[in-house]
Amino acid sequence: MASAGEGSSAAAMQQPPLQGPRQRVSLGALGIYALLFAGVLIAVGPFLWMISASFMTISEVNLTRLLPENLLWENYATALRRANFLDIEIATDPQTGVLQSLSVSGYIWNSVRITLITVLGSLTVCIPAAYAFARMKFVGRDFIFALFLSTMMIPGIVMLIPHLLTVIWLGRLSESLFGPAGTWFNNWPALTIPFFASVFNIFLLRQFFIQIPNDLWEAARIDGAGHPRFLVSVVLPLSKAPIMTIVTLGFIGSWNALMWPLLVTINDEWRPIAVGLSNFVTADTPGDLNLQMAASVITVVPILILYFVAQKQFTEGIAQTGIRG
Amino acid sequence: MAMFSALNRALGARRSRLLLDNLTAYLFLAPAGLLILLFGIFPVAFAFFVSLHRWRRFPDHYVGLANYEKALGNLGYILFFWLALLAFAAAAMMAKRLLRTLRTSNDDRRFASLLAGLLCGYAALLAIDWLFKLIPVIMLIPRQVRGQNTSLALFMEKLGESFSSPAVAAAGNLLLGGLIVTALVIALVAWRFRSAQSAQLASAGGITTVLLISASFLLQLTVSETEAAIAAARETGESLPIWSQLVFISAGLALIAAAWLIFRRGIKTYENRRFAMLLVGGLMLAVGGYLLMAEAPAALAAADDDLLQGFWITIMYAMGTVPVQLSIGLLLAYLLFQPIRFRAFFRMVYFIPYITPFVATSIVFRIIFEAGKHAPANRIISLVGIEPQRWILERSTIGGLLGLPDFLAGPSLALIVIMIYSTWTYIGYDAVIFLAGLGNIPGELYEAARIDGASGWRIFRHITLPLLSPTVFFLSLVAIIGTFQAFTQIWILRTGAVGNRVNTASVYIFDELQNSNRYGYASSMAFVLFALILLMTLFQNRIMGRRVFYG
Repeated sequence: MASAGEGSSAAAMQQPPLQGPRQRVSLGALGIYALLFAGVLIAVGPFLWMISASFMTISEVNLTRLLPENLLWENYATALRRANFLDIEIATDPQTGVLQSLSVSGYIWNSVRITLITVLGSLTVCIPAAYAFARMKFVGRDFIFALFLSTMMIPGIVMLIPHLLTVIWLGRLSESLFGPAGTWFNNWPALTIPFFASVFNIFLLRQFFIQIPNDLWEAARIDGAGHPRFLVSVVLPLSKAPIMTIVTLGFIGSWNALMWPLLVTINDEWRPIAVGLSNFVTADTPGDLNLQMAASVITVVPILILYFVAQKQFTEGIAQTGIRG
Repeated sequence: MAMFSALNRALGARRSRLLLDNLTAYLFLAPAGLLILLFGIFPVAFAFFVSLHRWRRFPDHYVGLANYEKALGNLGYILFFWLALLAFAAAAMMAKRLLRTLRTSNDDRRFASLLAGLLCGYAALLAIDWLFKLIPVIMLIPRQVRGQNTSLALFMEKLGESFSSPAVAAAGNLLLGGLIVTALVIALVAWRFRSAQSAQLASAGGITTVLLISASFLLQLTVSETEAAIAAARETGESLPIWSQLVFISAGLALIAAAWLIFRRGIKTYENRRFAMLLVGGLMLAVGGYLLMAEAPAALAAADDDLLQGFWITIMYAMGTVPVQLSIGLLLAYLLFQPIRFRAFFRMVYFIPYITPFVATSIVFRIIFEAGKHAPANRIISLVGIEPQRWILERSTIGGLLGLPDFLAGPSLALIVIMIYSTWTYIGYDAVIFLAGLGNIPGELYEAARIDGASGWRIFRHITLPLLSPTVFFLSLVAIIGTFQAFTQIWILRTGAVGNRVNTASVYIFDELQNSNRYGYASSMAFVLFALILLMTLFQNRIMGRRVFYG
């Protein structure tokens, strides 16, 4: 839902205005800070209680204690195991201590794998397309671009069934090519390939590529570089910012995905963390609330870390486009 | 390089350069284009196709509009009439533009370009026809090769069989012929009869053809389906008044729309005529409203109650969240905009609920709003002396709990919890976007207003709010579409005790898909939802877009 008016708001966001209207503040500065801190409390209160409750015993959670008597760190170990979040098996040779096999499984590992494939695939597919739209002339360019953009209007629920049927069909084809491992359904291709060609990513990159001065292209062409060479050695090094935005938004998108993975995964082999957490909680109602909280904290932490590290990319990317992953 | 010089000799340097540039661009575009075609554009046609079938995992048989009838009762047929009329209107608009272009030019070559366009449109329709004949056949392949030793040879054999099955092959041959003729004509036009308006004429001609033929197809489909439904009802001795319902409901809507136009005009006109216009408008509104009230329940009598309830829940959900979250977001943004310290810190913190995974935060809310006496939410309301509630387990409505009459029932308490959750997640997002919008308002305006002695509230009302209207418009559109697509929070926060009292339309559709495998029916409902979202976007664009002040 990118509208023309938003680009300028994004520009304003990069440099927050230092002064608002310099009118006499009728509420009084104290009142403003009180309201703002009340807002902070409402925004992070649930998180604080989530963290606190993740260290409690079940009865402490049930009685809504504010703080646990003892920090039960083992809640996390139990939650990781019970919710099948992460399971690392290291087998070493008993005599020499040499690593023999290492197997990692669990929803966290699945989500990491899915995220990596999606983001890498998306960059490979979207960068050339965005480059073509931004810096090349070809027959039907504006029409094709408008057509691409119009697909962003279509609600996901309409696409669900055709995607499912397409994925099953292509999966059978690839099975006949690569054997049982090539199937798409309940495997990584169903979870990643439909999201490679993201119109949103193409749009974001195109807006950036268009701003690259044409002099650079002229100079590169005189030096004998064609479009591919120019893209790789000039455009890409300049585009770290939008690429970072795509990577961070892609990361939340994959980490949060629930509806589609619910439909195309049937066991734990590739099931991502959102589905795993949802199943863990709905399967053990009312259940061990402290473990549910610990599992939620584990799910939230990677996103929060990413947010604090790459805050600029988050807020700018979202403000430019109004879309979350 | 050898190829390039050969090209150079054949076409001349400039043309071969152009051709190569085009080819490079398409090569760059190919992977994304292929994927978007497969997972972005084709699915829309595919979903519509599925919605016309009984389809449980695999295509069963064609059922016409039966799925739509099951979803919306007679209104399903009526909607398709409107869709056909809309397509005809669009075709007429394109044709008018086409005729205007034809009249203004006196270049004799213009008809050649037009012919190429018409042929292109026809070829596109042939392609769709072929595709729709092919899909049900090849969609059976996964079932045919299942369990057997799947080898590429077998798959390809089945694929070959599908392409050469009689109906598909006939359509395919027609398409092939059409493509060859079209390509020849295009080549001829490009070579000999090119004029300044070629591209414009050809695209207008193509689009007109496609619109006109699809509109006729839609109308024919709707009429024949309606007749069949009426005939089937007559067999069992009932009468199905679809035609009269179509007339009355359309008339009702048209009257209301006309009344709205008259009101708008009436407010601007002179005193003496204003009263008469408002009177006429009021009368039309009353008659139109009466027609709708009288006919709509009968037209919806056979509709799927769960779907209607889903739409009603979606509407309540939107009405309960969007205004609240926008006003609180604006308030926060306005506070943040004052000369305060730690602005960046506040902004960062307010954004946290929006970026954290919805699954995890929904689980926290699930525990906060538990039914137990000691659950956090009950603890908080007990501070002000309210009795503990059952929250996410409560299917009774707010009105019911307060002892109000039935028509004031409102949402269930469980839905209120979901509304609170959604408001909580989106406030920070709204505030951040509002803050950016506030930063765009030039400071001189505030200065001028203050010199004129305007109070704080008047400045807000007459400067800030109007200049912020594009942002309000954008955010409300995003928020309303968001409520129609909401899934994760409802999936986590709904409990067995509440049943379907919190299922919005899209959650109900998903349930139908996952639990009952009714692909055809789910597709038809998804399409109705799509139409509704599209209609709302257009409506909001017209109503609110007109009031938006873009500076």
